[in-house]
Amino acid sequence: MNGVLAVYGKEIKLYFRSPIAYFILAVFLLGTGYFFSYNLFVSGLATMRETFQNMGLLAVILLPAVSMRLFATEYSAGTYELLATLPLAPWEVVVGKYLGALTMLGLMALGTMLDLVPLYLFGAPETTTIISGYLGFLLLGSACLAIGQLCSSLTRNQIVAALVTVSILLGFWFVGHLQSFQTVQFLRELFLNISFAWHFGEFIEGLARFESLALFVLFSAGALILNVCALEWRR
Amino acid sequence: MPHPVELHSLTKTYGERTVVDRVSFHVGQGEIVGFLGPNGAGKTTTLRMIAGYLAPTSGQVTVAGQDVVSSPATSASAIGYAPERPALYDSFDVLGYLRFVARAKRVHRADTASQIDRVVAACRLEAVAQSEVYKLSKGYRQRLGLAQALLGHPEVLLLDEPTSGLDPGQISETREVIRSFGRDHSVLLSTHILPEVTLLCDRIAILHHGRLLAIDSPSGLGAAVGRANRVELQVAPNGPPDLKDRLLDVGGVVRVDIDDRQVPCSVSCAVDSSGNVEAAIARAVSRDWELLALRRHDPSLEDVFLHYVESAA
Repeated sequence: MNGVLAVYGKEIKLYFRSPIAYFILAVFLLGTGYFFSYNLFVSGLATMRETFQNMGLLAVILLPAVSMRLFATEYSAGTYELLATLPLAPWEVVVGKYLGALTMLGLMALGTMLDLVPLYLFGAPETTTIISGYLGFLLLGSACLAIGQLCSSLTRNQIVAALVTVSILLGFWFVGHLQSFQTVQFLRELFLNISFAWHFGEFIEGLARFESLALFVLFSAGALILNVCALEWRR
Repeated sequence: MPHPVELHSLTKTYGERTVVDRVSFHVGQGEIVGFLGPNGAGKTTTLRMIAGYLAPTSGQVTVAGQDVVSSPATSASAIGYAPERPALYDSFDVLGYLRFVARAKRVHRADTASQIDRVVAACRLEAVAQSEVYKLSKGYRQRLGLAQALLGHPEVLLLDEPTSGLDPGQISETREVIRSFGRDHSVLLSTHILPEVTLLCDRIAILHHGRLLAIDSPSGLGAAVGRANRVELQVAPNGPPDLKDRLLDVGGVVRVDIDDRQVPCSVSCAVDSSGNVEAAIARAVSRDWELLALRRHDPSLEDVFLHYVESAA
């Protein structure tokens, strides 16, 4: 566990010693804040439902910018040679980096909780739905980061890592739309069941279903295991 | 008892290309072994396999008795590795970087500060200890790379071109660090700089096209290429014309080159290293010629290196 904590500490330092963490946090919070204010003051909707939906799409687009550097910059800067020759198991490197990225995700979620203040002051929001929405956001974000970290471990170029990750994540986000074009029942169910947007939508509605939770956990765990395999394969 | 580093028929191939070809040797306790070879000889790949960065295609590496492939974490704990291009995080400060490495090497929290102080002092990094890594000169970067390798009291130190890019003063200081570390530990260093291995190393391994051509002490290597020894003569041209034949009759002389365009004429005899051939040559020449000078020319490390590389080619 010491190895995980060493890598985690390094990652947190690296995030906050470069402007990218602040930039991503700022863009995310400005975006969600804008949509929240618009829904509240223009549409008159005093709920987090629409805000969560926008948070989900913003996460799919912005989280690849968090994950893109995780391994790609280590390769290009030559620092991976140090990581790989320190007494650290590949899984410790993968988990340490992942926890660092999850901390960024947690800070993004934490920042949006400011929106809850006016909601609770002037309305009567359903707390369980809000908790479910945040749980869904964290699970969605965890899956996005794990996929992004895997992509970053496969290339030396962080721009390539980000573009490939965005493409994959948008594919999983919108794949549910394809079900309406399918006549085969199996494909209709498949497209719906692997759709990030559909499962995240369930959480937003307050339905924290096991299937949805399992999907995001499986995607995260699968990507992290492949990430460990990718590091072993590099040797 | 196993040696700190043992290589058994170590091989690395990339597709059809063999980069390291059945290399076997060991590094003993308290021994400094120099890895010598031209660019592309396979020195860095071999060091990377010992460090656990690359997996061998076949063969085995053990460090401190642990197989590098099957027990990577245990063997890595015994290794301090400084790659040729120092692996540094530019946005860290020097002490922060060393703290990260110490933590990753599982240095006990109570010992971290004293160990960092020790390597900072040993590598003369005091002046830049608070600086960010991206602000360091090339020399300081190289020394910080060496400092991180020294953390955690590793049993084995692997250094890839440790003095590359340093000025003469820094080279001398770095050599002193390596020499003092090598008294109690095992060091394997690769370099292009021939005097460096002569000054630092107990044994020299010559690698070419991925194959280990020789490994021995500097004097042992010289003796092994004894056929390349020469005896140089200065002879007054006042005797019979069969000087060359007379010299070839001397036991141990294998080749004679005479340059008689100048006075006195210069004679170079390639001799077998066995026996005191100089006395026999002197006797043979003095009978009919005036011998003005005679000098044995032992092979330098450069001669040894070139001899092996050219023989392999």
